[in-house]
Amino acid sequence: MIKNWRVLKEMLRLRFHGIMVFRLDFFGPFFVDGSLFLVQLMAFSAIYANVDTIGNWGEGEMMMYIGTYSLLNAINMTLFFFGINGIPRKVKSGELDLYLSKPISPLFRLSFEQISPGSIPLILMSLCIIGYGMQMTDSTYLEGEILAYCFWIVIMEILYYELEVLIRSISLFIVTTANIEQIEAAGLSLCMKLPGIAFYGMYKLIFYLILPYGIMATLPVQSMIGEMNGKLALYGITVVILFTILTAMVWKQGLKHYNSASS
Amino acid sequence: MNNIIEVKNLSKNYRRYKKKEGLKGSIESLFKREYEEKIAVNQMNLSVSKGEFIGLIGPNGAGKTTFIKMLTGIIAPSAGEIDVLGFYPNDMKNAFKKQYAVVMGQKSQLFFELTLNDTLRLFKEIYEIPEEEYRESKNYFIELFGVKELMDVQVRTLSLGERMKMELIVALLHNPKILFLDEPTIGLDAVASKQIRKFLKEINEQRGTTILLTSHYMEDIKMLCKRTVVINHGTKIYDGNTEELFERYQRNKRIQVSFSQPTEVKLRHDYEVQIIEDTPYKKTYETDKVHAKDLLEGIMQYDPVDISVEEEEIGIIVERIYEEGCEHNA
Repeated sequence: MIKNWRVLKEMLRLRFHGIMVFRLDFFGPFFVDGSLFLVQLMAFSAIYANVDTIGNWGEGEMMMYIGTYSLLNAINMTLFFFGINGIPRKVKSGELDLYLSKPISPLFRLSFEQISPGSIPLILMSLCIIGYGMQMTDSTYLEGEILAYCFWIVIMEILYYELEVLIRSISLFIVTTANIEQIEAAGLSLCMKLPGIAFYGMYKLIFYLILPYGIMATLPVQSMIGEMNGKLALYGITVVILFTILTAMVWKQGLKHYNSASS
Repeated sequence: MNNIIEVKNLSKNYRRYKKKEGLKGSIESLFKREYEEKIAVNQMNLSVSKGEFIGLIGPNGAGKTTFIKMLTGIIAPSAGEIDVLGFYPNDMKNAFKKQYAVVMGQKSQLFFELTLNDTLRLFKEIYEIPEEEYRESKNYFIELFGVKELMDVQVRTLSLGERMKMELIVALLHNPKILFLDEPTIGLDAVASKQIRKFLKEINEQRGTTILLTSHYMEDIKMLCKRTVVINHGTKIYDGNTEELFERYQRNKRIQVSFSQPTEVKLRHDYEVQIIEDTPYKKTYETDKVHAKDLLEGIMQYDPVDISVEEEEIGIIVERIYEEGCEHNA
């Protein structure tokens, strides 16, 4: 653990040095991520311009939802998205060899070696939206509710990470994962606009269990607005545990299956 | 002697997808896949003692790199036994990984936008090298490789030879017991290759590091390795003394000469000379190494402007070992 922390610190230092070599690399992510963020907000405004409620959620809850999704996404972009996204390319080129031969978890190194400080402002912007949503609901939030919300954010960020790793681990078994990544993008895009409470039937099965993007921002918001019950909490934690086991299994089996690229 | 690598009947098979030519073949392959089994390494046996410097040679696709990847645990064997420093490599234990290093000539572990000084810190943490040992080791290699002034230069601005020195420093920083080198001199010019060979020799002699080297270049193997293993189609066909290998199986030399004006060369000789190329400005001959000197003296009378003498390629040696069999064959 201490070793991982020290390695993480060094990777962070190297990453800062690396991106500061080129100014565009340093400031670029802020503009790119900022644009994506604005597009998302505009899409949200367009959808909800003529809709007052979704289920029993009003505009304030929806604002909290969109902020929560943005927060999860921003943390993901800052910490591990760019690292994990490179896994299929590294598998294909055989670059993964260099990670496997070092005395540190290859997944840990791959996950955190492309930390993107340019995405940090998005975290702050997301927090502002969440705060604005909280104000709109006209409710007062207790410390316990805020702590519960933070807990669910951490848990759901782990789920987000695992889903990303899981999808990219498939590249250890098959040549291309582009189509699966497209499904991921479509699922994420839909769930950014619609909270989990809007899904029923087959859609609920898909977005609550098979590709659980539907619960990622929904559960934290539900915990904050008092809609979380024991059954729902247990369900959320079970899904995360299941995906933790599944991701670890697929990754480990994938490494056993890895044949490296021909030199 | 203690064996630090012990390999018995090690094999690695791959399944390769085959498709018939054209659109029909593509459509057929959608519904019915055909695969063929490719044996990359076949029933390999090898024992390596501490401190040895071993050359692994063979033509492209012989299985050298696959063998190295199995020894380092990067890929899992299909069958056989493998023990490196008391570990089964594919268990990927960190305690094992700390004891070896691998340098692949075609894959870099450096950060191209950064300096080596920056990069080394990360490897210090990865290998958990104590500060004092780190400084000592770093200074030793900086002096050995003569790269003091390059330590704060962006890696991308370095020449290929300088970059390879940096790769070696990164790999050797934690003082590994075994160093696996996969084509470390690939693409390097003669001067850089010579320097790298010199450093490797020193590391093997001074630090007692066991080194396994794969290379296409005969010069690397001849200069560095007392023992050579020749692999072809995944099978070991020679395992023995390097000098003896080249003495017995590398018999001919190829002499290439160029002239400033059209020249007709008439050589008198009572030994076999094969004319490979004969144009007015350029001639290429091949003869056995015993008579190469006589042939060269004969050619020199025609006043060539450029001469090169080359040794036989690995492919020819492999063919010859196959044709004649080999008592060292395991």
